[in-house]
Amino acid sequence: MSEFKELIQRFEKIRAYVWDFYVYGFKSRNDYQEKSLRTYDNERRRLESWFSDYTHSEQNGHKKSVFITMASSKMAVNPLFQIWKSKTFTAKDITLHFFLLELFFHGGSYGVEALTDQLQVKFGILEDPQTIRRKLSAYEREGILNKRREGRQYLFSLNKDFQEQYPELFPSLFEAVCFFQGNAPFGFVGSTIMDWWNLNNLHFRFRNDYLIHTLEDEILLPLLQAIKEQRSLNLTIKSSKSGRIRTVTATPLKILISAQTGRRYLCGHQKSNNRLASFRLDNIQDVKLLDADSAFAEYQKDFSSHAPFVWGVSFGEKRHTESVCLHICVNEESESYILDRLEREGRHGTLKRLKPGLYEYTYSCWDAAEMLPWIKSFTGRIASFSCSNPEVEKRLFQDLHLMEQLYGYNEGDF
Amino acid sequence: MKQDFRLFSELYTCYYQVVKQILNHAEKESLTVRQMTEIVNTYGHKESALSIIPNLLNGTWPLLEQVSTPEGPAKYTSRISCCNKPLPLTYLQKSWLKALLLDSRICLFLNDEQLSVLEKALEQTEPLFYPSDFYYFDQYKDHDPFASVQYRAHFQKILAAIQQKRLLSISYLSGQKRILTGIWLPCRLEYGQKEGKFRLYCIRIRNNHDLQMDVLNLGRILKIEETDQIAKEDLSIDSFLDKSLSLNPLVLEITDQRNALERAMLHFSCYEKKIERLEESDKYLCSIYYDKRWETELLIQVLSFGPVVKVIGPESFLKQIVDRVKKQSVLLRETHYSLE
Repeated sequence: MSEFKELIQRFEKIRAYVWDFYVYGFKSRNDYQEKSLRTYDNERRRLESWFSDYTHSEQNGHKKSVFITMASSKMAVNPLFQIWKSKTFTAKDITLHFFLLELFFHGGSYGVEALTDQLQVKFGILEDPQTIRRKLSAYEREGILNKRREGRQYLFSLNKDFQEQYPELFPSLFEAVCFFQGNAPFGFVGSTIMDWWNLNNLHFRFRNDYLIHTLEDEILLPLLQAIKEQRSLNLTIKSSKSGRIRTVTATPLKILISAQTGRRYLCGHQKSNNRLASFRLDNIQDVKLLDADSAFAEYQKDFSSHAPFVWGVSFGEKRHTESVCLHICVNEESESYILDRLEREGRHGTLKRLKPGLYEYTYSCWDAAEMLPWIKSFTGRIASFSCSNPEVEKRLFQDLHLMEQLYGYNEGDF
Repeated sequence: MKQDFRLFSELYTCYYQVVKQILNHAEKESLTVRQMTEIVNTYGHKESALSIIPNLLNGTWPLLEQVSTPEGPAKYTSRISCCNKPLPLTYLQKSWLKALLLDSRICLFLNDEQLSVLEKALEQTEPLFYPSDFYYFDQYKDHDPFASVQYRAHFQKILAAIQQKRLLSISYLSGQKRILTGIWLPCRLEYGQKEGKFRLYCIRIRNNHDLQMDVLNLGRILKIEETDQIAKEDLSIDSFLDKSLSLNPLVLEITDQRNALERAMLHFSCYEKKIERLEESDKYLCSIYYDKRWETELLIQVLSFGPVVKVIGPESFLKQIVDRVKKQSVLLRETHYSLE
């Protein structure tokens, strides 16, 4: 039986478990029959160790569910970043890391042979020059070391420290890093800078922050690379509903983010049907970059022209837009905040005052069904609603009637 | 410069950070195993000590050496001396910093001269991402004016005051359109992605001893003047926030139709919550622990799910939902809408 290790070799191994423990949190050991129960036990133990302050368990009959929970608005640094800081390494890796850097921190440039000697003389480390060369080259690729040719050999030296090189940027840049690690894409990279500079985020917090997004960063990186290089790609997508896996060829155009629901999507031009489509980032399992797509600029233009008619991420399946007309009752003296909501949340729609206390919101979009959650958030104020798609209209009124039933309403009862 | 970045790298591993801290401490003063364990427990994970300490002690990671101690527990000192020096930034880290230069909020942190220095420092570096690649389709329209000269000056005064614990005299336009003026101790800035707004959490001191937490929207601050008063004691804003937590959680019954379970769980994942599956049904019970200040916002979020999410309690929250459903019923009947 192999010994339990906190660290992991591959990031994707843990992605699904973190999602289940953090987003759902009700699953028990018996729900993980697809893989061995021993694997579940190991992953659970690992997550309990990484997130010990945020892990709880609940006993429900003979079933025990373990879950991770935290209020994101209280977090100085996203605890889920720990997953990125859990890569395994060998004893040689860590030994060479500290001893080589110790030699470089004292200054000067060294060739491989000289470093191999120094390691032996100063620290008693007998190592093959090839191994040293590989480590130095890796650190040079990462940007920690600088390599230059001198005569017949390469000399390595430590790159300059940012704080020493640009003192005028500090402490302002410290604060910027502490803020953006919590709000910019790839925030975990910012948190590694905090680690290296011994920073604590003392002054910033983040509201409605979807911490789970960090799990998608490994997928996000090649998507952004493909957008930048205007290349197509093959996406391996696993449906969250059916579990079915499919492959899609598309040219990526934008990353669409919902600040309100926590979902992120890739919007791209799908080759199979020659249409714009959106794919949830958390459903994308793998990305393979293909060749450059000469029609990229045309697709971007297509996206820009459609964007004002897209409420969320759906471009619909019809050839014409659907029009929505919503009448909302507002007490103008005491409820100006409702008008503020309609204005700031109404995206590309138009708001008009019909008469005192009654406002009309209109919008034409490709898929009006996407608007229903927002419209339902005005429950109690909807004087009328019409949509050119009768199914959407019917769905709203059905839902409103179901709400009546849900809360025990019989006409005249309340 | 084109880079193939490795996001998942041992360079950023927590263990390297922990060992660095141990070596740093052990360079100044030799450490006992207990002291090392305390460091691991502070900077590492719950079970990190089980791996790190034996590897350091048995020489698998030969970074420490035992010092001779005539009596008492064994002590260890570092074999290296430069552990307190920061590593040079990697290309990945620089690339992330470069991307920040394209974010309109960076000017809140750096002055124009510093922005030029950072631009120059990173001129050979490609940004890790471009903000223009992202589209926040449901962000509010009225986000804060980050590029405004006044907003930037206010932000920088506030940030400096937080660092110095300096009290500020602030004129503020309230939500009711009244101008309030007072002296506040700024404590913390909160950014809301959905609103695109900064809020200042601050403490108002009345009659020299009454403390009250206020939350000011930065976009509504009219004027800030620095005072020469510095707070003598550490006032924790968290203790005020704890008081505003709802005593009872919001309890929701979620019916797993139209993918509601997944939608709701992701939607409410930013709250502290607990969920259980109700036996032999497609229903789930979700308890959400929330701040009472944001109750209306949570109410709106719950309503947006319609009939697939039912409020079970607390009573006051349920009453608000029922009131809205009732009002809606009256409105529907007034307009004579019929499903048929």
